[in-house]
Amino acid sequence: MHLAELQTRMQRMLLSGGGPDPALLALLADTPEQHERRLAVYRNNVRHALLSVLEAAFPVVEQLVGVECFTATALTFIAEHPPHRPVLYAYGVDFPGFLTEFQPLVELPWLADVARLEWARNEALFAAEAEPLAPDQLASIPADKLAGLQLQLHPATQLLESSWPVHAIWAAHQPGGGPLEAVDLQQAETVMVWRQAGTVRQRLLTPGEFALLAACVKQSPLAEAVEAAIQQEPAFDLRIVLARWLNEDVLERPIMTLLTSQTCGGSSP
Amino acid sequence: MFDLRNRTALPAQAGIGLRHPHLPEFLAAPQPAAWLEIHSENYLAPGGPRLGALERLRGDYPLSCHGVGLSLGSAAGLDAAHLARLRYLYDRLEPEAISEHLAWSTAPDGTFLADLLPLPYTDEALAIAAANIERAQQALGRRLLVENPSTYLRFQQADWDEAGFLSELVRCTGCGLLLDVNNLYVSAVNHGSDPQAVLNALPLTAVGEIHIAGHARVATSWGELLIDDHGSPVAGPVWALLAATLRLTGPCPVLMEWDTNIPELPVLLAEAERAEGYLREITGASG
Repeated sequence: MHLAELQTRMQRMLLSGGGPDPALLALLADTPEQHERRLAVYRNNVRHALLSVLEAAFPVVEQLVGVECFTATALTFIAEHPPHRPVLYAYGVDFPGFLTEFQPLVELPWLADVARLEWARNEALFAAEAEPLAPDQLASIPADKLAGLQLQLHPATQLLESSWPVHAIWAAHQPGGGPLEAVDLQQAETVMVWRQAGTVRQRLLTPGEFALLAACVKQSPLAEAVEAAIQQEPAFDLRIVLARWLNEDVLERPIMTLLTSQTCGGSSP
Repeated sequence: MFDLRNRTALPAQAGIGLRHPHLPEFLAAPQPAAWLEIHSENYLAPGGPRLGALERLRGDYPLSCHGVGLSLGSAAGLDAAHLARLRYLYDRLEPEAISEHLAWSTAPDGTFLADLLPLPYTDEALAIAAANIERAQQALGRRLLVENPSTYLRFQQADWDEAGFLSELVRCTGCGLLLDVNNLYVSAVNHGSDPQAVLNALPLTAVGEIHIAGHARVATSWGELLIDDHGSPVAGPVWALLAATLRLTGPCPVLMEWDTNIPELPVLLAEAERAEGYLREITGASG
Protein backbone atom coordinates (compact mmCIF):
# COMPACT_ATOMS: atom_id res chain seq x y z
CA MET A 1 0.00 0.00 0.00
CA HIS A 2 1.32 3.44 -0.89
CA LEU A 3 1.92 5.95 1.88
CA ALA A 4 -0.86 8.27 0.67
CA GLU A 5 -3.47 5.52 0.94
CA LEU A 6 -2.15 4.45 4.34
CA GLN A 7 -2.45 8.03 5.62
CA THR A 8 -5.98 8.43 4.23
CA ARG A 9 -7.11 5.16 5.85
CA MET A 10 -5.49 6.08 9.15
CA GLN A 11 -7.13 9.53 9.12
CA ARG A 12 -10.57 7.91 8.66
CA MET A 13 -9.93 5.46 11.44
CA LEU A 14 -8.72 8.15 13.87
CA LEU A 15 -11.48 10.69 13.26
CA SER A 16 -14.62 8.79 12.41
CA GLY A 17 -14.31 6.13 15.09
CA GLY A 18 -15.96 3.77 12.61
CA GLY A 19 -15.35 0.04 12.47
CA PRO A 20 -11.90 -1.49 12.05
CA ASP A 21 -10.25 -1.22 8.64
CA PRO A 22 -8.96 -4.72 7.76
CA ALA A 23 -6.66 -3.40 5.03
CA LEU A 24 -4.99 -1.05 7.51
CA LEU A 25 -4.82 -3.59 10.33
CA ALA A 26 -3.11 -6.04 7.96
CA LEU A 27 -0.20 -3.59 7.69
CA LEU A 28 0.51 -3.43 11.41
CA ALA A 29 3.24 -5.33 13.21
CA ASP A 30 2.53 -6.99 16.59
CA THR A 31 -0.20 -9.49 17.29
CA PRO A 32 -3.82 -8.66 16.32
CA GLU A 33 -5.01 -8.47 19.96
CA GLN A 34 -2.61 -5.54 20.50
CA HIS A 35 -3.75 -3.48 17.51
CA GLU A 36 -6.82 -1.81 18.97
CA ARG A 37 -5.01 -0.78 22.18
CA ARG A 38 -2.08 0.68 20.25
CA LEU A 39 -4.33 2.54 17.77
CA ALA A 40 -6.38 3.86 20.70
CA VAL A 41 -3.37 5.88 21.93
CA TYR A 42 -3.34 7.84 18.68
CA ARG A 43 -7.14 8.18 18.61
CA ASN A 44 -7.09 9.58 22.15
CA ASN A 45 -4.24 11.96 21.32
CA VAL A 46 -6.06 13.39 18.30
CA ARG A 47 -9.35 13.83 20.16
CA HIS A 48 -7.74 15.21 23.28
CA ALA A 49 -5.66 17.76 21.34
CA LEU A 50 -8.64 19.13 19.41
CA LEU A 51 -11.04 18.93 22.36
CA SER A 52 -8.60 20.98 24.47
CA VAL A 53 -8.54 23.71 21.82
CA LEU A 54 -12.37 23.94 21.84
CA GLU A 55 -12.54 23.85 25.66
CA ALA A 56 -10.07 26.73 25.85
CA ALA A 57 -12.01 28.80 23.29
CA PHE A 58 -15.54 28.09 24.59
CA PRO A 59 -15.37 27.84 28.41
CA VAL A 60 -18.81 29.44 29.01
CA VAL A 61 -20.53 27.16 26.49
CA GLU A 62 -18.95 24.26 28.38
CA GLN A 63 -20.28 25.57 31.70
CA LEU A 64 -23.75 26.10 30.20
CA VAL A 65 -24.18 22.55 28.91
CA GLY A 66 -21.91 20.68 31.33
CA VAL A 67 -18.60 18.92 30.67
CA GLU A 68 -20.13 15.63 29.52
CA CYS A 69 -22.49 17.23 27.00
CA PHE A 70 -19.77 19.61 25.79
CA THR A 71 -17.39 16.72 25.20
CA ALA A 72 -19.96 14.75 23.22
CA THR A 73 -20.94 17.83 21.19
CA ALA A 74 -17.32 18.82 20.52
CA LEU A 75 -16.37 15.28 19.44
CA THR A 76 -19.23 15.30 16.92
CA PHE A 77 -18.00 18.67 15.65
CA ILE A 78 -14.40 17.41 15.45
CA ALA A 79 -15.45 14.35 13.41
CA GLU A 80 -17.51 16.49 11.00
CA HIS A 81 -15.28 19.58 10.87
CA PRO A 82 -11.65 18.61 11.54
CA PRO A 83 -9.07 21.38 11.14
CA HIS A 84 -7.51 21.97 7.75
CA ARG A 85 -4.62 24.13 8.92
CA PRO A 86 -1.86 23.19 11.36
CA VAL A 87 -2.51 26.38 13.35
CA LEU A 88 -4.96 25.68 16.11
CA TYR A 89 -5.65 29.19 17.44
CA ALA A 90 -8.02 29.48 14.45
CA TYR A 91 -9.74 26.12 15.06
CA GLY A 92 -13.33 26.54 16.24
CA VAL A 93 -14.48 29.35 13.93
CA ASP A 94 -17.25 27.03 12.64
CA PHE A 95 -18.32 25.79 16.09
CA PRO A 96 -20.98 28.50 16.73
CA GLY A 97 -22.64 27.76 13.37
CA PHE A 98 -22.50 24.04 14.12
CA LEU A 99 -24.29 24.66 17.44
CA THR A 100 -27.13 26.47 15.62
CA GLU A 101 -27.86 23.29 13.67
CA PHE A 102 -27.05 20.71 16.35
CA GLN A 103 -30.40 19.03 17.14
CA PRO A 104 -29.68 17.82 20.71
CA LEU A 105 -29.15 21.46 21.80
CA VAL A 106 -32.00 23.25 19.95
CA GLU A 107 -33.71 23.93 23.28
CA LEU A 108 -30.88 26.36 24.12
CA PRO A 109 -31.40 28.81 21.22
CA TRP A 110 -29.01 31.40 22.72
CA LEU A 111 -26.13 28.92 23.01
CA ALA A 112 -24.77 29.56 19.50
CA ASP A 113 -24.66 33.33 20.12
CA VAL A 114 -22.79 32.81 23.40
CA ALA A 115 -20.33 30.73 21.34
CA ARG A 116 -20.09 33.62 18.83
CA LEU A 117 -19.23 35.96 21.68
CA GLU A 118 -16.54 33.58 22.94
CA TRP A 119 -15.15 33.29 19.40
CA ALA A 120 -15.06 37.10 19.14
CA ARG A 121 -12.95 37.07 22.33
CA ASN A 122 -10.62 34.52 20.70
CA GLU A 123 -10.33 36.71 17.59
CA ALA A 124 -9.61 39.76 19.73
CA LEU A 125 -6.86 37.90 21.63
CA PHE A 126 -4.94 36.88 18.50
CA ALA A 127 -5.65 39.85 16.17
CA ALA A 128 -2.81 41.86 14.63
CA GLU A 129 -1.16 44.67 16.55
CA ALA A 130 -1.97 48.25 15.53
CA GLU A 131 -1.51 51.68 17.04
CA PRO A 132 -4.76 52.91 18.62
CA LEU A 133 -6.08 56.29 17.52
CA ALA A 134 -4.95 58.97 19.99
CA PRO A 135 -6.92 62.10 20.97
CA ASP A 136 -4.29 64.53 19.61
CA GLN A 137 -4.36 62.79 16.23
CA LEU A 138 -8.09 63.22 16.02
CA ALA A 139 -7.77 66.84 17.18
CA SER A 140 -5.24 67.54 14.41
CA ILE A 141 -7.81 66.80 11.70
CA PRO A 142 -9.25 70.09 10.38
CA ALA A 143 -12.93 70.64 11.08
CA ASP A 144 -13.89 70.72 7.39
CA LYS A 145 -12.39 67.22 6.90
CA LEU A 146 -14.20 65.59 9.81
CA ALA A 147 -17.45 64.88 7.93
CA GLY A 148 -15.60 62.81 5.33
CA LEU A 149 -13.36 61.01 7.84
CA GLN A 150 -13.55 57.21 7.84
CA LEU A 151 -12.92 55.89 11.33
CA GLN A 152 -11.18 52.48 11.40
CA LEU A 153 -11.84 49.87 14.06
CA HIS A 154 -8.68 48.43 15.64
CA PRO A 155 -8.04 44.92 14.17
CA ALA A 156 -8.89 43.39 17.56
CA THR A 157 -12.26 45.18 17.90
CA GLN A 158 -15.26 42.92 17.25
CA LEU A 159 -18.99 43.76 17.15
CA LEU A 160 -21.77 41.32 17.96
CA GLU A 161 -25.53 41.81 17.58
CA SER A 162 -27.70 39.16 19.23
CA SER A 163 -31.40 38.54 19.88
CA TRP A 164 -30.29 37.16 23.25
CA PRO A 165 -28.61 38.66 26.33
CA VAL A 166 -25.23 37.08 25.49
CA HIS A 167 -23.15 39.55 27.49
CA ALA A 168 -25.29 39.02 30.60
CA ILE A 169 -25.15 35.22 30.21
CA TRP A 170 -21.38 35.39 29.75
CA ALA A 171 -20.94 37.70 32.75
CA ALA A 172 -22.99 35.35 34.96
CA HIS A 173 -20.37 32.64 34.29
CA GLN A 174 -17.35 34.70 35.33
CA PRO A 175 -15.89 34.54 38.85
CA GLY A 176 -18.10 36.73 41.05
CA GLY A 177 -20.83 36.89 38.39
CA GLY A 178 -24.49 37.01 39.41
CA PRO A 179 -26.92 34.08 39.09
CA LEU A 180 -28.04 33.08 35.60
CA GLU A 181 -31.65 33.10 36.86
CA ALA A 182 -31.44 36.89 37.19
CA VAL A 183 -30.81 37.28 33.43
CA ASP A 184 -33.83 38.36 31.36
CA LEU A 185 -33.65 35.93 28.43
CA GLN A 186 -35.94 38.15 26.29
CA GLN A 187 -33.37 40.97 26.18
CA ALA A 188 -31.54 41.52 22.86
CA GLU A 189 -27.98 42.88 23.19
CA THR A 190 -25.22 44.46 21.11
CA VAL A 191 -21.72 43.81 22.41
CA MET A 192 -18.24 45.09 21.62
CA VAL A 193 -15.14 42.96 22.29
CA TRP A 194 -11.72 44.59 22.07
CA ARG A 195 -8.17 44.33 23.33
CA GLN A 196 -6.52 46.89 25.55
CA ALA A 197 -2.97 46.56 26.89
CA GLY A 198 -2.96 42.88 25.96
CA THR A 199 -6.21 42.09 27.79
CA VAL A 200 -9.48 41.15 26.06
CA ARG A 201 -12.40 43.30 27.25
CA GLN A 202 -16.09 43.46 26.39
CA ARG A 203 -19.10 45.64 27.16
CA LEU A 204 -22.61 46.40 25.96
CA LEU A 205 -23.04 49.05 23.29
CA THR A 206 -25.87 51.58 23.11
CA PRO A 207 -27.92 51.38 19.87
CA GLY A 208 -26.23 54.58 18.65
CA GLU A 209 -22.71 53.28 19.35
CA PHE A 210 -23.47 50.03 17.55
CA ALA A 211 -24.94 51.86 14.54
CA LEU A 212 -21.91 54.17 14.29
CA LEU A 213 -19.32 51.37 14.64
CA ALA A 214 -21.22 49.16 12.16
CA ALA A 215 -21.18 52.10 9.70
CA CYS A 216 -17.41 52.47 10.25
CA VAL A 217 -16.94 48.78 9.38
CA LYS A 218 -18.74 49.54 6.09
CA GLN A 219 -16.30 52.44 5.51
CA SER A 220 -19.05 55.07 5.68
CA PRO A 221 -17.85 58.67 6.15
CA LEU A 222 -18.30 60.00 9.67
CA ALA A 223 -21.22 62.30 8.78
CA GLU A 224 -23.26 59.35 7.43
CA ALA A 225 -22.26 57.15 10.36
CA VAL A 226 -23.40 59.78 12.87
CA GLU A 227 -26.70 60.11 11.03
CA ALA A 228 -27.22 56.35 11.35
CA ALA A 229 -26.40 56.58 15.06
CA ILE A 230 -28.86 59.42 15.72
CA GLN A 231 -31.56 57.50 13.89
CA GLN A 232 -31.13 54.64 16.38
CA GLU A 233 -30.54 56.89 19.40
CA PRO A 234 -31.88 60.49 19.16
CA ALA A 235 -29.79 61.65 22.15
CA PHE A 236 -26.55 60.29 20.64
CA ASP A 237 -23.60 62.59 21.48
CA LEU A 238 -20.57 61.97 19.24
CA ARG A 239 -18.11 63.86 21.47
CA ILE A 240 -18.88 61.78 24.56
CA VAL A 241 -18.80 58.51 22.63
CA LEU A 242 -15.56 59.32 20.80
CA ALA A 243 -13.84 60.30 24.05
CA ARG A 244 -14.83 56.95 25.54
CA TRP A 245 -13.64 54.95 22.52
CA LEU A 246 -10.29 56.76 22.44
CA ASN A 247 -9.90 55.96 26.12
CA GLU A 248 -10.66 52.29 25.41
CA ASP A 249 -8.32 51.94 22.37
CA VAL A 250 -11.10 50.53 20.14
CA LEU A 251 -10.16 52.62 17.07
CA GLU A 252 -7.06 52.33 14.94
CA ARG A 253 -4.70 55.16 14.13
CA PRO A 254 -5.13 55.88 10.41
CA ILE A 255 -2.20 55.36 8.05
CA MET A 256 0.23 58.25 8.58
CA THR A 257 0.30 59.48 4.97
CA LEU A 258 -3.48 59.81 4.95
CA LEU A 259 -3.46 61.82 8.14
CA THR A 260 -0.55 63.99 6.96
CA SER A 261 -2.15 64.78 3.61
CA GLN A 262 -5.37 65.70 5.35
CA THR A 263 -3.51 67.97 7.74
CA CYS A 264 -1.49 69.55 4.91
CA GLY A 265 -4.58 69.96 2.78
CA GLY A 266 -6.26 71.82 5.61
CA SER A 267 -3.38 74.24 6.19
CA SER A 268 -2.61 75.08 2.56
CA PRO A 269 -4.07 78.32 1.21
CA MET B 1 37.22 14.10 21.43
CA PHE B 2 33.68 14.97 20.28
CA ASP B 3 32.61 16.03 16.81
CA LEU B 4 31.12 19.49 17.32
CA ARG B 5 30.61 20.40 13.66
CA ASN B 6 26.89 19.76 13.82
CA ARG B 7 26.18 21.72 16.99
CA THR B 8 23.66 24.53 16.85
CA ALA B 9 24.25 28.00 18.27
CA LEU B 10 22.31 27.00 21.41
CA PRO B 11 24.45 26.80 24.55
CA ALA B 12 25.41 23.27 25.67
CA GLN B 13 23.36 23.78 28.82
CA ALA B 14 19.90 22.83 30.09
CA GLY B 15 16.94 24.87 28.82
CA ILE B 16 13.19 24.60 29.36
CA GLY B 17 10.13 24.58 27.14
CA LEU B 18 8.39 27.95 27.60
CA ARG B 19 4.67 27.42 28.24
CA HIS B 20 1.88 30.02 28.57
CA PRO B 21 1.30 29.62 32.35
CA HIS B 22 4.91 30.65 33.04
CA LEU B 23 4.96 33.76 30.80
CA PRO B 24 4.08 36.20 33.62
CA GLU B 25 7.02 35.00 35.78
CA PHE B 26 9.43 35.34 32.87
CA LEU B 27 8.14 38.83 32.10
CA ALA B 28 8.36 39.88 35.76
CA ALA B 29 11.97 38.83 36.40
CA PRO B 30 14.91 37.00 34.81
CA GLN B 31 14.65 33.23 35.40
CA PRO B 32 17.54 30.77 35.73
CA ALA B 33 16.94 29.05 32.39
CA ALA B 34 19.98 28.86 30.07
CA TRP B 35 17.75 28.91 26.99
CA LEU B 36 14.11 28.54 25.94
CA GLU B 37 12.18 26.51 23.42
CA ILE B 38 8.72 27.33 22.09
CA HIS B 39 6.24 25.41 19.98
CA SER B 40 6.28 27.48 16.79
CA GLU B 41 2.58 26.86 16.07
CA ASN B 42 1.61 28.64 19.31
CA TYR B 43 3.03 31.89 17.97
CA LEU B 44 1.70 32.04 14.41
CA ALA B 45 -1.28 34.29 15.16
CA PRO B 46 -1.05 37.80 13.68
CA GLY B 47 -0.61 39.43 17.10
CA GLY B 48 -1.66 39.44 20.72
CA PRO B 49 -0.05 39.39 24.17
CA ARG B 50 1.65 35.98 23.87
CA LEU B 51 3.55 36.93 20.73
CA GLY B 52 4.35 40.28 22.35
CA ALA B 53 5.73 38.50 25.44
CA LEU B 54 7.90 36.20 23.33
CA GLU B 55 9.33 39.12 21.38
CA ARG B 56 10.25 40.80 24.67
CA LEU B 57 11.89 37.63 26.07
CA ARG B 58 13.70 36.78 22.85
CA GLY B 59 16.46 39.30 23.54
CA ASP B 60 17.23 37.80 26.95
CA TYR B 61 17.42 34.05 26.18
CA PRO B 62 18.80 31.88 23.37
CA LEU B 63 15.81 30.39 21.57
CA SER B 64 14.92 27.15 19.84
CA CYS B 65 11.72 26.99 17.74
CA HIS B 66 10.14 23.55 17.75
CA GLY B 67 7.52 22.97 15.05
CA VAL B 68 4.73 20.51 15.72
CA GLY B 69 2.68 20.93 12.54
CA LEU B 70 4.80 20.82 9.40
CA SER B 71 4.17 17.09 8.88
CA LEU B 72 7.49 16.05 7.31
CA GLY B 73 6.07 12.58 6.61
CA SER B 74 3.08 13.74 4.54
CA ALA B 75 2.74 11.81 1.27
CA ALA B 76 1.05 14.88 -0.24
CA GLY B 77 4.04 17.13 0.48
CA LEU B 78 4.27 20.23 2.64
CA ASP B 79 1.78 23.07 3.08
CA ALA B 80 3.28 26.10 1.31
CA ALA B 81 1.22 28.56 3.37
CA HIS B 82 2.43 26.97 6.60
CA LEU B 83 6.04 27.10 5.45
CA ALA B 84 5.57 30.80 4.70
CA ARG B 85 4.09 31.45 8.17
CA LEU B 86 7.01 29.64 9.83
CA ARG B 87 9.55 31.55 7.71
CA TYR B 88 7.98 34.85 8.75
CA LEU B 89 8.16 33.88 12.44
CA TYR B 90 11.73 32.59 12.18
CA ASP B 91 12.91 35.69 10.33
CA ARG B 92 11.46 37.85 13.11
CA LEU B 93 12.85 35.76 15.98
CA GLU B 94 16.13 34.54 14.40
CA PRO B 95 16.19 31.40 16.61
CA GLU B 96 19.44 29.57 17.37
CA ALA B 97 17.83 26.30 16.20
CA ILE B 98 14.65 25.09 14.50
CA SER B 99 13.23 21.58 14.57
CA GLU B 100 10.39 19.31 13.41
CA HIS B 101 9.41 15.66 13.91
CA LEU B 102 9.85 12.48 11.93
CA ALA B 103 6.07 11.95 11.75
CA TRP B 104 3.00 13.04 9.83
CA SER B 105 -0.01 15.10 10.97
CA THR B 106 -1.64 16.22 7.73
CA ALA B 107 -3.60 13.68 5.68
CA PRO B 108 -3.57 13.77 1.85
CA ASP B 109 -6.88 15.72 1.78
CA GLY B 110 -5.38 18.45 3.98
CA THR B 111 -7.03 17.41 7.26
CA PHE B 112 -4.76 18.27 10.19
CA LEU B 113 -4.86 15.55 12.85
CA ALA B 114 -3.02 17.44 15.63
CA ASP B 115 -0.84 14.48 16.58
CA LEU B 116 2.54 13.06 15.54
CA LEU B 117 1.55 9.94 13.62
CA PRO B 118 3.91 7.08 12.77
CA LEU B 119 5.49 6.39 9.38
CA PRO B 120 6.26 2.98 7.91
CA TYR B 121 10.05 2.95 7.51
CA THR B 122 9.96 2.06 3.80
CA ASP B 123 12.02 3.31 0.86
CA GLU B 124 8.91 5.17 -0.36
CA ALA B 125 8.49 6.99 2.96
CA LEU B 126 12.22 7.75 3.06
CA ALA B 127 12.07 9.41 -0.37
CA ILE B 128 9.00 11.42 0.69
CA ALA B 129 10.46 12.53 4.03
CA ALA B 130 13.81 13.44 2.42
CA ALA B 131 12.12 15.54 -0.27
CA ASN B 132 9.96 17.27 2.36
CA ILE B 133 12.96 18.02 4.60
CA GLU B 134 14.93 19.43 1.68
CA ARG B 135 11.99 21.62 0.68
CA ALA B 136 11.51 22.80 4.28
CA GLN B 137 15.18 23.68 4.72
CA GLN B 138 15.10 25.63 1.48
CA ALA B 139 11.84 27.44 2.24
CA LEU B 140 12.83 28.24 5.83
CA GLY B 141 16.39 29.20 4.87
CA ARG B 142 17.75 27.20 7.80
CA ARG B 143 18.96 23.73 8.69
CA LEU B 144 16.33 21.60 10.41
CA LEU B 145 16.85 19.31 13.37
CA VAL B 146 14.56 16.28 12.95
CA GLU B 147 13.27 14.59 16.10
CA ASN B 148 12.90 10.85 16.62
CA PRO B 149 9.23 10.20 17.53
CA SER B 150 7.48 8.30 20.32
CA THR B 151 5.59 5.51 18.62
CA TYR B 152 2.91 3.10 19.78
CA LEU B 153 2.66 0.92 16.69
CA ARG B 154 4.90 -0.26 13.90
CA PHE B 155 4.21 -1.42 10.37
CA GLN B 156 5.19 -4.82 9.01
CA GLN B 157 6.41 -3.20 5.80
CA ALA B 158 9.88 -1.89 6.69
CA ASP B 159 13.06 -1.46 4.69
CA TRP B 160 14.78 0.28 7.60
CA ASP B 161 14.73 0.42 11.37
CA GLU B 162 14.15 3.88 12.84
CA ALA B 163 17.84 4.60 13.49
CA GLY B 164 18.77 3.57 9.93
CA PHE B 165 15.93 5.67 8.52
CA LEU B 166 17.11 8.75 10.46
CA SER B 167 20.73 8.13 9.44
CA GLU B 168 19.69 8.10 5.78
CA LEU B 169 17.72 11.35 6.21
CA VAL B 170 20.75 13.02 7.79
CA ARG B 171 22.98 11.75 4.99
CA CYS B 172 20.62 12.72 2.13
CA THR B 173 19.42 16.12 3.36
CA GLY B 174 22.13 17.42 5.67
CA CYS B 175 19.54 17.87 8.42
CA GLY B 176 20.55 17.46 12.06
CA LEU B 177 19.06 15.20 14.70
CA LEU B 178 17.02 16.34 17.67
CA LEU B 179 17.51 13.33 19.91
CA ASP B 180 14.56 12.96 22.27
CA VAL B 181 15.88 10.55 24.88
CA ASN B 182 12.43 10.05 26.41
CA ASN B 183 10.95 9.23 22.98
CA LEU B 184 13.77 6.80 22.35
CA TYR B 185 13.06 5.03 25.64
CA VAL B 186 9.24 5.06 25.19
CA SER B 187 9.44 3.63 21.66
CA ALA B 188 12.04 1.02 22.63
CA VAL B 189 9.90 -0.27 25.50
CA ASN B 190 6.73 -0.17 23.39
CA HIS B 191 8.37 -2.27 20.69
CA GLY B 192 10.52 -4.51 22.85
CA SER B 193 13.87 -3.09 21.71
CA ASP B 194 16.98 -2.35 23.75
CA PRO B 195 17.25 1.47 24.23
CA GLN B 196 21.05 1.38 24.40
CA ALA B 197 21.24 -0.55 21.11
CA VAL B 198 18.93 2.00 19.43
CA LEU B 199 21.06 4.84 20.82
CA ASN B 200 24.25 3.28 19.48
CA ALA B 201 22.70 2.94 16.00
CA LEU B 202 21.67 6.62 15.71
CA PRO B 203 23.74 9.19 13.76
CA LEU B 204 24.99 10.80 16.98
CA THR B 205 27.43 13.19 15.32
CA ALA B 206 24.37 14.95 13.85
CA VAL B 207 22.75 15.62 17.25
CA GLY B 208 22.15 19.35 17.65
CA GLU B 209 19.78 19.25 20.60
CA ILE B 210 18.50 16.72 23.15
CA HIS B 211 15.01 16.53 24.69
CA ILE B 212 13.96 14.95 27.97
CA ALA B 213 10.44 14.69 29.45
CA GLY B 214 8.23 12.50 31.57
CA HIS B 215 6.01 9.68 30.33
CA ALA B 216 3.02 7.73 31.65
CA ARG B 217 2.81 3.95 32.02
CA VAL B 218 -0.38 2.01 31.32
CA ALA B 219 -0.98 -1.69 31.83
CA THR B 220 -2.18 -3.75 28.86
CA SER B 221 -3.03 -7.41 28.34
CA TRP B 222 0.52 -8.07 27.04
CA GLY B 223 2.52 -5.81 29.35
CA GLU B 224 3.24 -2.15 29.86
CA LEU B 225 2.66 0.53 27.23
CA LEU B 226 4.46 3.85 27.76
CA ILE B 227 2.68 7.06 26.75
CA ASP B 228 4.74 10.14 25.93
CA ASP B 229 2.50 12.65 27.73
CA HIS B 230 5.13 15.14 29.01
CA GLY B 231 3.12 15.22 32.22
CA SER B 232 5.50 14.20 35.01
CA PRO B 233 9.15 14.33 36.14
CA VAL B 234 11.72 12.51 34.00
CA ALA B 235 11.77 8.76 34.79
CA GLY B 236 14.86 7.10 36.25
CA PRO B 237 15.72 5.00 33.17
CA VAL B 238 15.50 8.14 30.99
CA TRP B 239 17.99 9.99 33.22
CA ALA B 240 20.32 7.00 32.87
CA LEU B 241 19.87 7.05 29.10
CA LEU B 242 20.57 10.82 29.06
CA ALA B 243 23.85 10.20 30.89
CA ALA B 244 24.75 7.46 28.39
CA THR B 245 23.82 9.75 25.50
CA LEU B 246 25.95 12.64 26.73
CA ARG B 247 28.93 10.33 27.17
CA LEU B 248 28.61 9.59 23.43
CA THR B 249 27.71 13.04 22.08
CA GLY B 250 29.66 15.25 24.44
CA PRO B 251 28.26 18.59 25.67
CA CYS B 252 24.96 19.36 23.98
CA PRO B 253 21.93 21.61 24.58
CA VAL B 254 19.40 19.64 26.69
CA LEU B 255 15.74 20.70 26.92
CA MET B 256 13.25 19.80 29.65
CA GLU B 257 9.69 19.59 28.24
CA TRP B 258 6.51 19.56 30.32
CA ASP B 259 3.15 19.96 28.51
CA THR B 260 0.34 18.37 30.53
CA ASN B 261 -0.31 18.91 34.25
CA ILE B 262 2.18 21.78 33.90
CA PRO B 263 3.79 22.36 37.33
CA GLU B 264 4.95 25.54 39.02
CA LEU B 265 8.00 27.04 37.31
CA PRO B 266 10.47 26.05 40.11
CA VAL B 267 9.60 22.35 39.60
CA LEU B 268 10.41 22.64 35.90
CA LEU B 269 13.62 24.57 36.60
CA ALA B 270 14.68 21.91 39.12
CA GLU B 271 14.40 19.21 36.42
CA ALA B 272 16.52 21.37 34.13
CA GLU B 273 19.06 21.84 36.93
CA ARG B 274 19.31 18.07 37.31
CA ALA B 275 20.03 17.80 33.56
CA GLU B 276 22.66 20.51 34.02
CA GLY B 277 24.30 18.19 36.55
CA TYR B 278 24.72 15.48 33.92
CA LEU B 279 26.18 18.07 31.54
CA ARG B 280 28.70 19.17 34.21
CA GLU B 281 29.82 15.56 34.64
CA ILE B 282 30.57 15.37 30.92
CA THR B 283 32.35 18.70 30.83
CA GLY B 284 34.39 17.66 33.85
CA ALA B 285 35.22 14.32 32.24
CA SER B 286 36.28 15.85 28.92
CA GLY B 287 37.98 18.94 30.33
